Amino acid sequence: MNNRSQHPDELLPWYVNGTLTGTERDAVETHLAACERCRGELRLLTLLRQQVKRAGGGESPGELARLKLLHAVRQSARRRLVWPLALAAALAVVAVQTVLLVNLWRPEPQAITPLGSLPGHEAVLQVRFAPQATEPQMRAVLNEVNAVLIDGPGPLGLYRVRLEGLDSTQRDELDAAAAKLKSRGRVVRHVAIE
Amino acid sequence: MKTGTEAGRLLERIACGESGALEQFYEAFHGRVYAFVLRRLNNPADAAEILNEVMLEVWRSAARFEGRSQPLTWVLGIAHHKVLDRLRRARTANHEEITPDIAPADEVSAVEALAGAEDAELVRRCLDKLTDSHRLVVHLAFFNDLSYHEIAEIVNCPLGTVKTRMFYAKQVLKRCLAGQRPASL
Repeated sequence: MNNRSQHPDELLPWYVNGTLTGTERDAVETHLAACERCRGELRLLTLLRQQVKRAGGGESPGELARLKLLHAVRQSARRRLVWPLALAAALAVVAVQTVLLVNLWRPEPQAITPLGSLPGHEAVLQVRFAPQATEPQMRAVLNEVNAVLIDGPGPLGLYRVRLEGLDSTQRDELDAAAAKLKSRGRVVRHVAIE
Repeated sequence: MKTGTEAGRLLERIACGESGALEQFYEAFHGRVYAFVLRRLNNPADAAEILNEVMLEVWRSAARFEGRSQPLTWVLGIAHHKVLDRLRRARTANHEEITPDIAPADEVSAVEALAGAEDAELVRRCLDKLTDSHRLVVHLAFFNDLSYHEIAEIVNCPLGTVKTRMFYAKQVLKRCLAGQRPASL
């Protein structure tokens, strides 16, 4: 009875490990009940399975391997966390730059409408600062012309500054102050006399 | 990704980036994955390294687990591919399906092999003589108790191939355990 087709040899290993379907299991058991040769096969396979299980999987890779994995995972987790934040930050920078560029690319006003000073009174300049200008830089250039901030920023980013000790009739001094501010191009982008 | 199993739920949490869930998954599966890889490579250092790669792959790919198979089947499938990659790189793999030259007339009876099967060391030596593809099926069936359907899924081959590999593995083991020289190994 060595003919493979007559014995369920191909199913016996899975009968041993208990993973056959009900139908397959029934067929194998029916055959086993009448076949001494297959009962011998069953005994051998059962013993082999026990030996394979007893041999186990070898020594555990150890705590170091586990720690190595967890370290790699934590690094990966940080990257997972940082990546969306970095993306959001990058998008924010792009958005800010876009707004600034749109503002900068607006044609310079040919004549800026005075915001309210009266002739013969305060000497007032309208100033637009560079987007990257910091507050100390702005304060420093205003100090150079003895100017103080009195209003702003307006819708176009304009500030109004008053030149201390001058009035609106002192055109030369006003022009000189405006020219000095304009010369600070890294901080000041636009200057106009009201 | 609904699996209804505890391991499946762990995979769901891993997919959400919970490293604690991966620690639990590692505790539950690292032994079986390590054993699977070690039996294939016979090198503890390589096996530990691949175990690490497999678990990192689980961490990265948990969202792709769809619950159509058991988590163990899924993770052993990952391990199987990592092992094949390693064997290919090392050029030690024998990817050809070697069918031992065993004619029915050469078949050793189970009774002749039974005494040898009692000897754990002899069984280990005989298992080592199997080709990688045959040893793989024996390990998955007897160490992991997987069905031939699950093994076919892990190894990515037809069901009939799994059964045939097991059949020939058993023939070679019987011959080896009975103290006969294998016909072709």
